Amino acid sequence: MKQYKLLIPALLAVYVAVPLVFGSDNYVMSLVIASLVIGGIALSWALLGNLGGMVSFGHSAFFGVGAYASAVLTMQHGVPVFLAMLLAGVAAIVSAILMLPVLRLRGPYFALAILAYAHIFRILATEWTSVTGGSAGIANIPRLPLVASIDFGSKTGNYLVILTIVLVFAAVYDMIRRSPHGLALRAMHDSDDATRVVGVNNTLLKGLMLLVSSFMCGVVGAFNVHYINFLEPDYAFSTLWVTIPIVAAIFGGYRTITGPLVGAVVVYLVDQLVVKSIIPTGHQLVLGVVLVAMIIASPDGLLALVRKFMRKNDAAA
Amino acid sequence: MTELIMQSLYSGLLQGGSYALIALGLALVFGAMKVINLAHGELVLLAAYIGYTVESKLGVNPLLAIPVAVLLVTLASAGIYLLVGRIKTNREINSLTLTYGVGVILTNLALLIWSADVRATGSSWMQEAFVLGPLYSMRSEVLFFGVSVVLIGGLWWWLSRSWYGRAVRAVSSNRDAAKLMGINPGFTELVSFIVAGIMAAFAGVALFSYGVITPAFGGVLTVKAFIITVLAGIGSIPGVLIGAVLLGIAEALTVTLASSALQELAGMGLFLLVLFVMPNGLFGAARRRG
Repeated sequence: MKQYKLLIPALLAVYVAVPLVFGSDNYVMSLVIASLVIGGIALSWALLGNLGGMVSFGHSAFFGVGAYASAVLTMQHGVPVFLAMLLAGVAAIVSAILMLPVLRLRGPYFALAILAYAHIFRILATEWTSVTGGSAGIANIPRLPLVASIDFGSKTGNYLVILTIVLVFAAVYDMIRRSPHGLALRAMHDSDDATRVVGVNNTLLKGLMLLVSSFMCGVVGAFNVHYINFLEPDYAFSTLWVTIPIVAAIFGGYRTITGPLVGAVVVYLVDQLVVKSIIPTGHQLVLGVVLVAMIIASPDGLLALVRKFMRKNDAAA
Repeated sequence: MTELIMQSLYSGLLQGGSYALIALGLALVFGAMKVINLAHGELVLLAAYIGYTVESKLGVNPLLAIPVAVLLVTLASAGIYLLVGRIKTNREINSLTLTYGVGVILTNLALLIWSADVRATGSSWMQEAFVLGPLYSMRSEVLFFGVSVVLIGGLWWWLSRSWYGRAVRAVSSNRDAAKLMGINPGFTELVSFIVAGIMAAFAGVALFSYGVITPAFGGVLTVKAFIITVLAGIGSIPGVLIGAVLLGIAEALTVTLASSALQELAGMGLFLLVLFVMPNGLFGAARRRG
């Protein structure tokens, strides 16, 4: 209950205070929006990792498919932007359904197969020029619209939209986790066979988690495309959309819901503001180092590490 | 047309030699440690760039880069082993994330040191045409195909005849039983990483000698090596060889019959086909479905 009392002031703070304080500063707002985009991907990645027990190195596929779907739907078929963003999530689900045979492969093989899929989608986007514009990309993608005299296309509007998307996803994630299915999924971590014996359809549940995760990632990709208004294959399917979310989720703790979000904000801001100014090209090097260090020191996130130290100190005192 | 197809088959075969070296390294480490090294392609890339540096800075044939490449890549490979060995919990999943991180480090290191420019050999000796009846290739392609064959033969001899090789196979098939026979699994794992590193070093210099390299190439190579092991099925060395040649030929045929942009899609197509039709691979043992 204590958490819920804190929730309302926290929500007020992020919805009202952030735009009021930083709203006029385009640079800060763009950093905040970008870190929320990363947070959204990190959340969908963590959902698959935590509930589905699968490490994905191919989330850029869903991000890119969502982005292209929304761009094509709005520009070539006149679909309204917000509807197109939802449909983009559905498109990402369709691309995930194509991946389902991969679930036949166990453990590490799944991770590599999904990596291979991400490559396929990048090549398709480059070669299918009649729809995607090929490597030249698509420009002038419509901004978020004006609805009920709120301009969602402005920096503040964009912020409110991505914030809402991420919070809704976090709530959905929480709901799944608390549901009986969530229990089954968590039990699956401990023993695949035991859950199967009590009548849980493991493969179906894992597959569903892949679909949920892909939907979330696709919607975030769609948001991003209407935010930056430009799209090209190398950007849409960049490994950037894999690396930063993974680092963020691992850094913040991928077994929690807040972890990936907090991790995304911290990792993205440090990467952009500190690391990038020191080493302009190849600044992802540091992300790699962080990832390796975290896996060795504390794969459950920085908070878990801090707690471990606290406990040690308590025991010493 | 027949000539074109013959030529594609030939080029694909030659390319398959390097692919086999890369995929065997990945498979060897997976066998010994049940770890997929997602930075394996980046190790190959490192060797390729060492070839580039030796050629461009010292102005000598990239073949002379092989000793340096073997040394540095083996060290890097052993370094990955040490990092993976420090993982405390859930090694199967965490090793993936860790080696992915190492791959990111190596890719960006390459970007920092050698920039994002496309590099290729400038050695005319390497690029000289080699004519075999109606079939054409570069001298470097034939040369490195020969090197691959020798290395693979050596690996086969090592795995089947030498004590360490047999230890690696023993640990792959039954870790606990191997321990009881007095094999130190940790040391065996290190040996498998070192052997994988040696083969990656040769493959890297080979790729530089007849192709083009960019920092992003490492990830592509890892995926290719993975596709080959899926084609092969787990734990089959002859399968890896055939898978590598198949991938090489599929790519060469795609370039000849369709377009070079679709080259990578050929491998993916093969991969999907195998995944849907025979998920155990062409030569895999029956049990791999989850």
